[in-house]
Amino acid sequence: MLKGHLDMIVLAALAAGPAHGYAVIEEIRRRSGQAFDLPEGTIYPALHRLEQDGLLSSKWVTADSGRRRRVYALTKRGERALAQQRATWQQFSNAIGGLLRGARA
Amino acid sequence: MRNPGLISDYVDALARELDFDRSLARRVRQEIEEHLWEAAAAEPAADRDEAQRRAVERFGDPHAIAAQFATVSLARQASKLAAIAIFVIGSTYALMKARLAWYAVAQLVVSDELRTISGAVARIDGYAFWLSVAIGIAAWAYIGSRHVPVRLNPSCRKELHRFFALCGAATTALIASAIADAILTGLRLAGMGWSPAFLLPVVLMTVEIACVGALAFLIGNAALRTRHFANPAAPAA
Repeated sequence: MLKGHLDMIVLAALAAGPAHGYAVIEEIRRRSGQAFDLPEGTIYPALHRLEQDGLLSSKWVTADSGRRRRVYALTKRGERALAQQRATWQQFSNAIGGLLRGARA
Repeated sequence: MRNPGLISDYVDALARELDFDRSLARRVRQEIEEHLWEAAAAEPAADRDEAQRRAVERFGDPHAIAAQFATVSLARQASKLAAIAIFVIGSTYALMKARLAWYAVAQLVVSDELRTISGAVARIDGYAFWLSVAIGIAAWAYIGSRHVPVRLNPSCRKELHRFFALCGAATTALIASAIADAILTGLRLAGMGWSPAFLLPVVLMTVEIACVGALAFLIGNAALRTRHFANPAAPAA
């Protein structure tokens, strides 16, 4: 189920601010209450693809620890795409909610 | 301290898979290596090797990860390849026109006895060339209208195969046109004594053959690469 929504999940994890891949994975785990424990390797190709699509930008940053990290941030296009996906998801969620509420137990 | 071990072996394997795109391989290697060291450091396991093993295990199979990275790269390279094909077709046309202009300037004409065969070859040349133009534009428009998927799934594989089939057909037509061009050049120069005026058409013809050969090589290489990553026998994550 997550497969089709990976882009939205990654964009949403970056909505709070720029982050490197490891932090994005941690953020997804934390904000989903550990429900989304994605295989870590799938996040990086997604970040790369979203960058190619112009939804993310990235740059190398040297952390205090001396580690060089690739930090990703939402672009304006990425913010618009996330808002659009959030609205679509909300609509879908409301429709399913209404359907389930009306269903017989 | 960073000792060679599982993490280094893992990122080496990943970089090797992406070797066809050097800058991508370098970037992925650096980024993933940093991730794995950070993940290993966060592991509660006291044993360093065990922490590395867990970090690598959680990351997934390198071939499957490389295939996901490759999807983006292959799609980008396919678009680039379509543009290169259009450029080579255009260059072939320009080289042909330059040769014809030089023939007029140097007054290099086909002898009467070779005129019939030259006319027939010229017709084949024209048909083959315009066929390559039509198929090349179709390949370019086709790949430009595709969306890059998350994975190299069967539908994406089919699209790339269609694209390579179109590129292959355009290149085959272009090769036929180049062969016809070479025959026409030979017919025009045949029967005349050596002259420095021959040099330019021979050089232009060599450039044309080299361009078409390079295009065929690039298309074949890209098709093989796609087949490598699309191999369903490859282990999944």
